[in-house]
Amino acid sequence: MAKIKKPIKYIGLVLIAAVFLFPLIFMLASSFMSSSEISRALNFMDESFKKVKLIPDMFSAEQYYQVFFRRPEYLQRFWNSVIITLPTTLIQVVVSAMAAFAFAKLRFPLRDKLFFVYIILLILPIQVTLVPNYIVLDKLGLLNTFASVILPGAFSAFGICLLRQSITYISDSSIEAARMDGASYFMIFTRIILPQIRGGLVTLTLLTFIDSWNNIEQPMIYFSDTAMYPLSVSISDIAQNDFGVVYACGVMFLIPPILIYMYGEKDIKSPFTSADKL
Amino acid sequence: MARKNREKLTAALFILPSFAGIMVFYVIPYVLCFVQSLFVGNRFVGLENYVGLFSNYTFTLALKNTAVFTVIAIPLLMTVSFLIALFLCSFEKINTFFRSSILVPVVVPVSSLIVVWQVLFEDNGAVNGLLSSLGLGTVEFFNSWLSMAVVILVYVWKYCGFCVILFTAGLASISEAYIESARLDGAGAFKIVTKIKIPNITPTIFFVFLMALIYSFKIYREVFALFGDYPNENVYFIQNFVNNNYYNLNYPRLSAAAIVLSAFIVVLLWVFFRFEKKRNYPG
Repeated sequence: MAKIKKPIKYIGLVLIAAVFLFPLIFMLASSFMSSSEISRALNFMDESFKKVKLIPDMFSAEQYYQVFFRRPEYLQRFWNSVIITLPTTLIQVVVSAMAAFAFAKLRFPLRDKLFFVYIILLILPIQVTLVPNYIVLDKLGLLNTFASVILPGAFSAFGICLLRQSITYISDSSIEAARMDGASYFMIFTRIILPQIRGGLVTLTLLTFIDSWNNIEQPMIYFSDTAMYPLSVSISDIAQNDFGVVYACGVMFLIPPILIYMYGEKDIKSPFTSADKL
Repeated sequence: MARKNREKLTAALFILPSFAGIMVFYVIPYVLCFVQSLFVGNRFVGLENYVGLFSNYTFTLALKNTAVFTVIAIPLLMTVSFLIALFLCSFEKINTFFRSSILVPVVVPVSSLIVVWQVLFEDNGAVNGLLSSLGLGTVEFFNSWLSMAVVILVYVWKYCGFCVILFTAGLASISEAYIESARLDGAGAFKIVTKIKIPNITPTIFFVFLMALIYSFKIYREVFALFGDYPNENVYFIQNFVNNNYYNLNYPRLSAAAIVLSAFIVVLLWVFFRFEKKRNYPG
């Protein structure tokens, strides 16, 4: 019986993969169509239905040429995204790793109560913190600067919870032994803890990067200067007005997260898996 | 003694950066927000802003939609990803390609995919083309209750992969011997899942629920991308309300809305904690 089931199961697997990959393939394919081919496929003129085309009639790099050489404003938006995302990710990983170490391995009064407060804050969604943050950013004079999006994004309780989870797997005895040898806590942190939570650090980097890269809410509200908008905000305008380049913009937009994902692919599962099964 | 103090001092230093950040960007704003929700201008009005909020049609609509979305989408996401995880675990070895493909939607940025959804679901979109060629007639995805279905679909599709990873990790941690002995006792596949696998991954289920909840509040990005600033009333969520009130600069009302939303979430969590406790210690 198991033998008959096997092919059916593999068909199921392929179907699942297809469902998850479809939009990506569609977008990649469309990005190599010329704008006239896209408008034909999208049928703006008559009432007939749009077609999903996965193979371009003629391979064309027109969209990419437009985006990279003719319309510098999209590259500018892309650059804004980079300016916002890189510092956010970097600060969040460093700050979270430090705090996670203290919460997981050091003893101090009120530790668990403080951690509970962190968890509550972790759960509060952006909708809730957006308004209060606006008030404080206004008082600090940070509105309409990149810092107004970077700083609140850099301090999130999520990273602390994730890394604390990874650090708890490290045995106390190795830390104790290092203490006996006279290592300072800082050395324990850099030499023992950090190398062992590589998987957690990579996962956090990736998730923070994606989250910040996709940030729409905060820039829209904190920036009054639309030239500062990151590509994530602009792309939905482009989608409504400029079909000729939107697929190429979309591809350009997803390259950095995909690169980071490919780089960390091996590590991303390890903070959650004890056995290497999956 | 000196060592203990040293440890405390180190802990304080390590926590300080995050503590400072969280105070400045979470705690203090929150207190300010609550205070502001009790005032109009400089006049103390008590709960008047809250009363005003609940008699506001758009707010109650947004609250209702958010609740409907949360109640349907989160269990759906958890069920679908659990089933896929079970399915993947039933293979002895899986090509990395398949494992990675389910994570792709998490990685691909929201904005990159708008066009794809539009081509599929617009009035003249591909899905309607398919429906009408089958002689079923067309539907308006972007202007009916189906908008909510589209948003839920996009949400499940996007975050499914991440939840599958979490579930597979949980399922992998159950010892094979335990399952094998149940099988020898005559338990069927369904019984093994409900009586052994699910109870054994309760911590994972809780973590997945938390992630699903956090992600459910990020769905505004998709809503904004798909429907713009003023979506139809089936998918007008709290975040739309908040954003639109920013442009009117109505801070007291916004602050009150933020406090109400937090209360909503705390209640949701409380229900879940209760539920989890009951299941763990029956009777």
